[in-house]
Amino acid sequence: MRNKPLRMVAFSAAIGLAGALSACSTGPGTTSASPGNLASVSVGAMKNFTAGEAFKATTPVSFSMLYSDQPTYPLKSDWLLFNAITKMANVKLKPTIVPMSDYSAKRSLLIGAGSAPLIIPKTYPGQETPFIQSGAILPVSDYVKLMPNFEQKVKQWGMQDELNDLKQADGKYYVLPGMHQQLWPDYTLVVRTDIFKKAGIAIPSTWDGLKTALTQLKAAYPGSIPFSDRFMAGATLNIASAAYGTAMGNGMFQVGDGTMFNKATNKFVYAATMPQYKQLLAYFNSLVKGGLMDPSSFTQTDDQAQAKFTSGKSFVISANSQNVVDYETAMNQSLGKGKYSIAKITVPSGPAGNIITGSRLENGVMISSAALKSPNFVAMMQFIDWLYYSDAGQEFAKWGVQGVTYTKSAAGVRTLEPGVNFLGLNPSGTKDLRKDYGFSGGVFSYGGSTDLLQSVMSPAELVFQKAMASKTAQALPPPAPLSESDQAQATLLETPLQDYVDQNTLRFILGQRPLSQFGAFVTELQGKGMNTYLAMKNKAYTDYQKKN
Amino acid sequence: MADQQAVTGTADQSAATVQDTSLSPVRLSRLGRRAHKSDGSGPGDKRTRKAKQTWAAALKKDWRLYTLLGAPTLYFVIFKYLPMAGNVIAFRHFSPGGNIFGDYWVGFQYFQMIINDPTFWGVFKNTVILGVLTLVFSFPMPIIFALLLNELRSQRFKKIVQSISYLPHFMSVVIVVGMVFQLTSLQGTFNQLLGHVGVHAIDFMQQASWFRPVYVSSEVWQTMGWGAILYLAALTTIDESLYEAARIDGANRWKQTWHVTLPGISPMIMTLLILNIGSFMAVGFEKILLMYNPLTYPTADVISTYLYRVGIESNNFSYATAIGLFESVIGLTLVMSANSISRRLVGASLW
Amino acid sequence: MKDSTGYRVFKVVNVSALLMIVFVTFYPFLNMVAQSFSSQGSISAGRVNLIPLGFNIDTYKVVMGDALFWTSYKNTVIYTVVGTLISIVLTTTFAYAISKRHLKGRNFFIAIAVFTMFFNGGIIPNYVLISSLGMRDTLWAIVLPNAISVFNLLIMKSFFENMPAELEEAGAIDGLTTYGILFRIVLPLSKAVLATMVLFYAVINWNAWFGAFLYLDKSSLFPVTIYLRNMIAGATQATSFGGSSENVTQIAANIEAVTMVLSVLPILCVYPFVQKYFVSGVMLGSVKQ
Repeated sequence: MRNKPLRMVAFSAAIGLAGALSACSTGPGTTSASPGNLASVSVGAMKNFTAGEAFKATTPVSFSMLYSDQPTYPLKSDWLLFNAITKMANVKLKPTIVPMSDYSAKRSLLIGAGSAPLIIPKTYPGQETPFIQSGAILPVSDYVKLMPNFEQKVKQWGMQDELNDLKQADGKYYVLPGMHQQLWPDYTLVVRTDIFKKAGIAIPSTWDGLKTALTQLKAAYPGSIPFSDRFMAGATLNIASAAYGTAMGNGMFQVGDGTMFNKATNKFVYAATMPQYKQLLAYFNSLVKGGLMDPSSFTQTDDQAQAKFTSGKSFVISANSQNVVDYETAMNQSLGKGKYSIAKITVPSGPAGNIITGSRLENGVMISSAALKSPNFVAMMQFIDWLYYSDAGQEFAKWGVQGVTYTKSAAGVRTLEPGVNFLGLNPSGTKDLRKDYGFSGGVFSYGGSTDLLQSVMSPAELVFQKAMASKTAQALPPPAPLSESDQAQATLLETPLQDYVDQNTLRFILGQRPLSQFGAFVTELQGKGMNTYLAMKNKAYTDYQKKN
Repeated sequence: MADQQAVTGTADQSAATVQDTSLSPVRLSRLGRRAHKSDGSGPGDKRTRKAKQTWAAALKKDWRLYTLLGAPTLYFVIFKYLPMAGNVIAFRHFSPGGNIFGDYWVGFQYFQMIINDPTFWGVFKNTVILGVLTLVFSFPMPIIFALLLNELRSQRFKKIVQSISYLPHFMSVVIVVGMVFQLTSLQGTFNQLLGHVGVHAIDFMQQASWFRPVYVSSEVWQTMGWGAILYLAALTTIDESLYEAARIDGANRWKQTWHVTLPGISPMIMTLLILNIGSFMAVGFEKILLMYNPLTYPTADVISTYLYRVGIESNNFSYATAIGLFESVIGLTLVMSANSISRRLVGASLW
Repeated sequence: MKDSTGYRVFKVVNVSALLMIVFVTFYPFLNMVAQSFSSQGSISAGRVNLIPLGFNIDTYKVVMGDALFWTSYKNTVIYTVVGTLISIVLTTTFAYAISKRHLKGRNFFIAIAVFTMFFNGGIIPNYVLISSLGMRDTLWAIVLPNAISVFNLLIMKSFFENMPAELEEAGAIDGLTTYGILFRIVLPLSKAVLATMVLFYAVINWNAWFGAFLYLDKSSLFPVTIYLRNMIAGATQATSFGGSSENVTQIAANIEAVTMVLSVLPILCVYPFVQKYFVSGVMLGSVKQ
């Protein structure tokens, strides 16, 4: 699932106007190192680095890295994080600081101009694709043999399918993804539990149940529209589509390229042509028609939607884990603390079952090809492996140094040290885990084992996660990577198709177009080149199957 | 993009012009035009046409003028023309991280892709329509506003109004779009007004047919005050004595405006018109991106937003550069045409 | 002479129309200012109009309490002053020279300027250029690349062209060289356009962030625009694992408004000085026969 916040890629395409000048040599150049011959680049590397072992470079080494600076905890060079890394691992990190707001644009620029640092974090799977063809990025799958922790996690957590999804046409993948042991569902609906209770309405666990609940809400509060959504309803469409066995969602919530894999026919089809898709359209149309869902949900700004919910005009809205805190803060002011209660509901199930969508992968690390020229290459890979993929490394990145920022009981329960606060877990703490020490920052700490992730969750969130654990993840489509020459053609086909789907999805839901015309819609898609696109994709699929 | 910013940031400039006051008062209708003959046949410009100078003679005579040209020309060469070589990737295959001049020639392949892409022509049409509408509506507004301000007797009121009117220029796109959404929402001001006259509420942002009026109105609102600054500067340079002469001749305020004021600022108007025509294709990317949604794609989607959606997937810089060149050629052609038409019709031109 | 009835009606209509314009432009602005001082609850409930509700300066405190903010502010001031100065000098000299119709090669020079309005190299080539010139992380990367706005240039040129030639001829007769004429006669008479250009360049430089984003890597060199952009992005991005520091919700609610206020304030202070030069045309000292 593509999860790129709009702002993060806001100017990536602006960088499209390019040309160049200069004597700078760009591109990988020649190097004597290769997957089979790493002797010349092993300075500082540990001889027998195994999983679970602490990494310490045999000679002091330093690595350049790109750093996305979050304004909430701006980078400080004296962070304990950096000092501890130097002490423990003999590694000095040299960050190039980029404001978070322009991170992806600057990253594109630096790579494009040939001056990127060696380690490039905060790269979501899919974002590495443009840089592959030129050879600017390392085909990291060739070198994961240097990363025992990574390989162990892949095996233990069964991530091979997800990794296969990252593979390009040459059978290699180019980004080291962040990995979650378990699918970490983020988006769901938040409801006013106090209102539900007052009106005697049961919290729904299915989508039909939701419709019933909304109808009851409307009966209890006649002038209201109970459900006014944010994210342009993208999150809701997304989670509902999984439960209906199809794929719906636009913009940030677009699911892949709009295709779904049909196991029965062994072919890719366009999700928007599936009968389940029509079924889902009919569902949402009935919500809008019945005055249960605000038609503005699909186009209003998040602020507008939030305002309706936090002021008590609406009772159901989408949220991710962060939003709940935001809503509560707002509602404490607008409604008064104690005068309301909200909670996330587990994602409702639908006709296709208790299925949720999402990926266990999240943002990860790209390596610049220039790293192969560095004598410390192997050491660097081992370091990355330890920091990002070993249990000890992940715990360190998240919690910090035992005895300084946290303590761990014999049972493995972690608690912040008295003077340290993080996310309100220790309100009496004067120092902040992120701001003052540099731990739990987005650049180094993400993904990981369920145990680790849940160690910082609030009790309410834990309840939610446990309930969600019983659901099944939607099956991943098999890999069907397009060749580079097909890629350009494909994008030009894909965009108008996707636009048309998005447009008509809204028109059907809002009643601007009657559902009886669904068949006509499918025909129109064919006229827009859908069959050509699917042919390309299916060919890529069969080609890949043959090769691997 | 930097250059887009530069263009839109300076899209509303003009400069004061100086009335040629050395002429004795003549018939008002001729006065305006006479005073602003900038085609080289005004007083003191006898040397323009004849005698092809040799370079040696020119340098000898005007070497000081050429020195004034030195530093700026160097600036243009280094900071503008040198990087321009990079546009070559519109004709070559480019992959980010590879050779910045591209890897190999592909000729007009990308341009052909553009021409054969039906979606491109759709968004091209939208770009043109939005550009023209913006030009037609937001170009005259600062002028009219400046003229209205000019009629105010109270200088203080005039200053206050003018200082307030430019504030929208400083509101970020996000703020402006947020306001637009608020105003056009089903519970917003516009629908409340419609409700008072008994019209059913319209969700403006969901209707493709409403996008253009909403967008253009927001543009007019944002640029009117700031754009008027230059015209106001120009107005101050019109000699009072011309108004005197007009009054003596019995012209009322309206005739004075027509025969003195407007001609007084007409060089400014023409300059800005030509420049704005050249940049009309650069419709606001960020504003449209924030305001549009799939329902309004048919009218709202412009070249830059389309490219943005395509760009995310493929990051095809060569394609994007080709489109950029395409737009640039159009812009340049438009300016040159506008310039020569203006020269022929009105006698005023940029060069 | 007495105003006709028609004109008197017009005056009333005019004033009403202008008041309407004032309302339509001032109200949203005041609303934003009010929001910048309001609490997040009032803002999201949509209750803030012209007066701040739930008076709250948390966002201001967070921003202005940050040393980096003041460093950035200082940087912006420096970039603006230096940038405007360089721009004015380059633009004025070029504009004056090409305003001379008799100058050989004039059209060529105009063409090289106009051409750059439409064609640019793009981000990567510009980046590589600045890099090769060793200007990254320096002031020059900010003030040089967009020093001349061809828009402004053409307007100044138009202005110079329309100056009465007698003024300059008088100077020449008095024995002044080109430089003398420029500095002693032309420029003093060009106060209105110079003031306007200073204002325009200053505003552009003040609000510029793109060059800084491209060419600066050290946060201590960032202008305040980048600082504020980053704050906005940080506050409003729905990071799944992002944390909420105590006032992130408050900041998210009005950081845009606060940014607007902080960006406009200097212009509001500078503008009255510029306006002085727009007052009545007597300063031109028209050449009477």
